[in-house]
Amino acid sequence: MTDAPVLLVEGLQKRFGGLQALGGVDLAVQPREIRAIIGPNGAGKSTFFNTLTGLLQPDAGRVLFEGRDITGRPPHILTRLGIARTFQITSIFPDLTVLQNVQVALAGYRGETWRMWRPAARSGVERSNSMLELVGLAQQGGRPAGTLAHGDQKRLELAIALAGEPRLLLLDEPTAGMTAQERLEAINLVHRVAVELGLTVVFTEHDMAVVFAVATRICVLHQGRLLADGTPEEVRADRQVQEVYLGDSLEADGAEP
Amino acid sequence: MTRLLLAALACALLVAPFVLSSFWVHIAVKVLAFALYASSFNLLLGYGGMLSFGHAAYFAMGGYACALLIARADAPILLALAAAPLLSAALAGAIGYFCVRRSGIYFAMLTFAFQMLLYTIALKAIGLTNGDDGVTGVRPSGLLSDAVDYYYFTLAIVATALVLLYRLVNSPFGFTLRALRNNPRRVEYVGVPVRLHQWVTFVVAGGFAGLAGGLYALSIGSVFPNWLNWTESATPVVMAVLGGLHTFAGPIVGAAVYVVLETVISGQTEYWHIFMGAIILFLILVLPEGLTGTPRLRRRMLALIGR
Repeated sequence: MTDAPVLLVEGLQKRFGGLQALGGVDLAVQPREIRAIIGPNGAGKSTFFNTLTGLLQPDAGRVLFEGRDITGRPPHILTRLGIARTFQITSIFPDLTVLQNVQVALAGYRGETWRMWRPAARSGVERSNSMLELVGLAQQGGRPAGTLAHGDQKRLELAIALAGEPRLLLLDEPTAGMTAQERLEAINLVHRVAVELGLTVVFTEHDMAVVFAVATRICVLHQGRLLADGTPEEVRADRQVQEVYLGDSLEADGAEP
Repeated sequence: MTRLLLAALACALLVAPFVLSSFWVHIAVKVLAFALYASSFNLLLGYGGMLSFGHAAYFAMGGYACALLIARADAPILLALAAAPLLSAALAGAIGYFCVRRSGIYFAMLTFAFQMLLYTIALKAIGLTNGDDGVTGVRPSGLLSDAVDYYYFTLAIVATALVLLYRLVNSPFGFTLRALRNNPRRVEYVGVPVRLHQWVTFVVAGGFAGLAGGLYALSIGSVFPNWLNWTESATPVVMAVLGGLHTFAGPIVGAAVYVVLETVISGQTEYWHIFMGAIILFLILVLPEGLTGTPRLRRRMLALIGR
């Protein structure tokens, strides 16, 4: 823990009308951590994510990425800096082929989307294919992405996110809508890729089995505030967490909200 | 197959003036101009997913720019024609600045509102535009005064413009545009300034529409405010949808079918709008993906007629 944090959040606040969705969240994520953010529905996980990634403007607080203040910067800037994210509802380009999905992403990261003359079909093929290989979709490159099974679409989204060689990967419910078996496969893929590429990962998740399978540290969000922040063992042992959230959810393990 | 088709089409276009009457050569020029117009429109709708109801503004701007430069400033035709896309693109730049801030129906309404604004200007700024009378008598003189020569001239320009557009839609820019149609948010999160891309697309589409408008204005020798009327908003939409939004050839085929149908039917009956509407309705109902729809669809059609 001697490195500077990859992601540092200080006093992040977000209010929607009368609702204090985020009541001052502090967070430091170290390099190569796999950080889970858990919490009951309405705890502010999605708001937290969207405020981190420029989709929402915070009312107060700062976000620093590798020491650089990125508070409220627009998504495309954050992306170029090395932050990639995925969405709770799978976010791909269904009309393009699987390979083209990654090619477009790669062109975006590389700032090549202004090229108007060179055929796109030949741009970044090698790297795009290697991304698909990484997530196990190498054989599906020519298929329209919209025809992929749900789990494979999630894999594709991961490939899209990884194409730009991000250093910080933010995953909003990476296993949403999957069966219990698929969830573990999906999160193990994330884990393997993160270790292989040396990424720092922050993810939100409902399924405790998934969380405890890979997270190196866990934050518990409750009513817009951090209730706990520690190793899986610490969080599991935290009485407050057990009271408001965990015990409840551990019994209903794997149940979708 | 595609190559063969293209070669055949090129041959047909090159020999067309030898087999067509002068009236139909004139219509062929209209087909070419509107093919470019519809293709420029489809850059917005078919590729970018932006439904503009004000694309006629840039077509008309091209027409007016060309006609006024010739009528008022005695500009050479090539200069006037070069100015048309540039001025239309500039206009699209100004209008697009506001329009791309909205999406969906709000985008459509904004583009439409600007077109109506320009309609009013074209009608009321009589000193500049002659109002309702339009700008007339701007037929090219000299080398291009002959209808057949003007046809070849238009063919060369439209073909070049379409090649440029084709390269564009298949470039990384074009693929980003298709991705934008699918999922603008995801595009933002691969590092693309989405609004800027949409604006550039709007400007490029406006520029090509302006070129088409200039070519058409010179072919009929005039331009009128009703080019900007709200009834004209639908023209490129119908052409593109009729031919097929998701192929490059779609709007070109759509424009050709539309112009030829319009010409034939309006020559037969005063109530041609009814027949035109019915035919278009029928075509869109049986071929929802347009005349150039998917091969699967074409096969289904063939099966339907018993093959």
